[in-house]
Amino acid sequence: MSDKASPPAAKTTRSAVDRKSSAGTTPDPWEACVRIEYGGDRSLAWSVREEIIATPPQGHAGAEARLLKALARPDCTDAGRAFVCQMLVMVAGATSVPALAALVRDAKSTEAARYALAAIPGPEATAALRDALGALSGPAKAGLIGSIALRGDASVRYALAGIKDNPSEAAIVREAATRALEHLANAKA
Amino acid sequence: MNPSTLLSRRDFLQKTGLATAVAAAPLILPSGLRGQNAPSKKITVGIIGCGNISDSHFPAILGYPESVRILAVCDVDKERRDESAAMVNKSYGSSDCKAYADFRELNRRSDIDAVFVCTPDHWHALVAIDAMRNGKDVYVEKPLTLTIQEGRALVDAARKYNRVAQHGTQHRSMKRFHDVAEFVRNQGLGKLDRIECYIPPNNRHCGATWTPEPVPAGLDWDMWLGPAPWRPYTSLGCHYNFRFISECAYGQVTNWGAHYLDIGQWALDMDNSGPVSVEGHGEFPSSGLFTNSTKVDFTVRYANGVPMHCRTRHDGGGTVRFVGERGWLDIARNKMSASSNDLLREMQASGKKIQLPLSNNHHENFFDCVRTRKMPIADVGIGHRTTTVCNLGQIGMVLGRKLRWDPAKEEFIGDDMANRLRGRAMRSPWALI
Repeated sequence: MSDKASPPAAKTTRSAVDRKSSAGTTPDPWEACVRIEYGGDRSLAWSVREEIIATPPQGHAGAEARLLKALARPDCTDAGRAFVCQMLVMVAGATSVPALAALVRDAKSTEAARYALAAIPGPEATAALRDALGALSGPAKAGLIGSIALRGDASVRYALAGIKDNPSEAAIVREAATRALEHLANAKA
Repeated sequence: MNPSTLLSRRDFLQKTGLATAVAAAPLILPSGLRGQNAPSKKITVGIIGCGNISDSHFPAILGYPESVRILAVCDVDKERRDESAAMVNKSYGSSDCKAYADFRELNRRSDIDAVFVCTPDHWHALVAIDAMRNGKDVYVEKPLTLTIQEGRALVDAARKYNRVAQHGTQHRSMKRFHDVAEFVRNQGLGKLDRIECYIPPNNRHCGATWTPEPVPAGLDWDMWLGPAPWRPYTSLGCHYNFRFISECAYGQVTNWGAHYLDIGQWALDMDNSGPVSVEGHGEFPSSGLFTNSTKVDFTVRYANGVPMHCRTRHDGGGTVRFVGERGWLDIARNKMSASSNDLLREMQASGKKIQLPLSNNHHENFFDCVRTRKMPIADVGIGHRTTTVCNLGQIGMVLGRKLRWDPAKEEFIGDDMANRLRGRAMRSPWALI
């Protein structure tokens, strides 16, 4: 330590504004929410959730657009994608279908995308689910078949009958097709 | 529905063409071997889910060794299922109780009459429906289901397959709750002003972040998650604690609300209906593994104008209080009090105009109905309506705005967002079909 006397303290001190600025810039929750990791801090995603819930119906299209923009970010994590799709459940309409239709066909993102698509009313979402039938296999295909059946999409009966009787399909898929056909028949009755 | 139309398992199997399979199946317990009654006179049981809640079922069921037999247990955790099977076998002095990792295998056994669904909430609907599809009667732990959509599907399955289906709201089989509900139903409190339900606070807590852990040996984590969205394993978010995570349950709203709101529904004669609005504000953690409310406060209101409040009671256990123009009655599992002793005396008096069905033991009531094919005291239709009230509270608190509810159509009026929260897609390969 120097024995030299310290200079007198400067007269000017950091103002309240300076102290705030040294904390850095708060991340944009709509960007940060797609980067959350399982187990990590999700408080910024929570901010997005609260904002969506408080959005009146006339603002849903705007919230949907922001979510779709987030979903398209290249740094989207699995947890982030799942979160955004869970938020889309609350506000998404036909506008979201093209983006979700692409994701539902991809084994890596199909669960999150189907979670959102299943909540969207209308023929566009129904068609997106139906069109993904040929792109998936195994348990993911079985789950997809279930979602299609729950929408009452009778146009898939022929395709489901083919899956049910196709020995090259996994047993779990054939069972799902059988159950879906039964469900559709009961729904019709 | 006419109770007499409920089919016995044998009738069911014959009707559905499975009788051949039954005939070909080996006898359950050759009675001569262990000196027991003929197996056909015993109700044979499987228990699916061997965790916390099953602890109350095993001793109760093992208490009927002459009339009920546990033939199988199932859990995705090997340690739990093996311990449970060993405990049952030790109790019977036998070795025929088998342990299963997959509930579907248990449900496909043709020699099992009834299944107890004791899994985490997010599994209730799928397990129970699969059991009923396979001709089993079911006792489904509370809450009946995770979502409103699942509840309707479960009730529809019970009717479709003519199954006896009991909801695990055992307050319905406790005389104290019966007497209060009956007294209120008979206008014993005069014009009812309100119902106040208090439920216990959360009894587990976690930090703002958590660390994924290796899945323990013997636990099938994928099967534990089942229809819930995928997340990595953590011991914080598995056994017991699942109830604080909204992908699996709705916290104390459904855990305890299913009991106390149920008595309100009973007293209001709402077993086949429900409230017409809900409004509430919960306190939800903004980070961390747990996502359900730490403080519950909501009010449902019925068409007759009576509100039922549900709030967290931080100083103790659950209660339900009925407040009318003649005073109040407060009831919990272990105590009852009133604004005057006269009310308590009147409540005990006989000869009431409206008499509610009486059961003094929830398990016995279920087993009696399995034998007689009558409706149980807490049929799943009733359970669905009560669980719906819990769900209304949950959705009302999540959205934080007043919602109108149509109990006949089972849909919110004029709130698309709320309606979308009545159900959810299930993770592959599971589906509510």
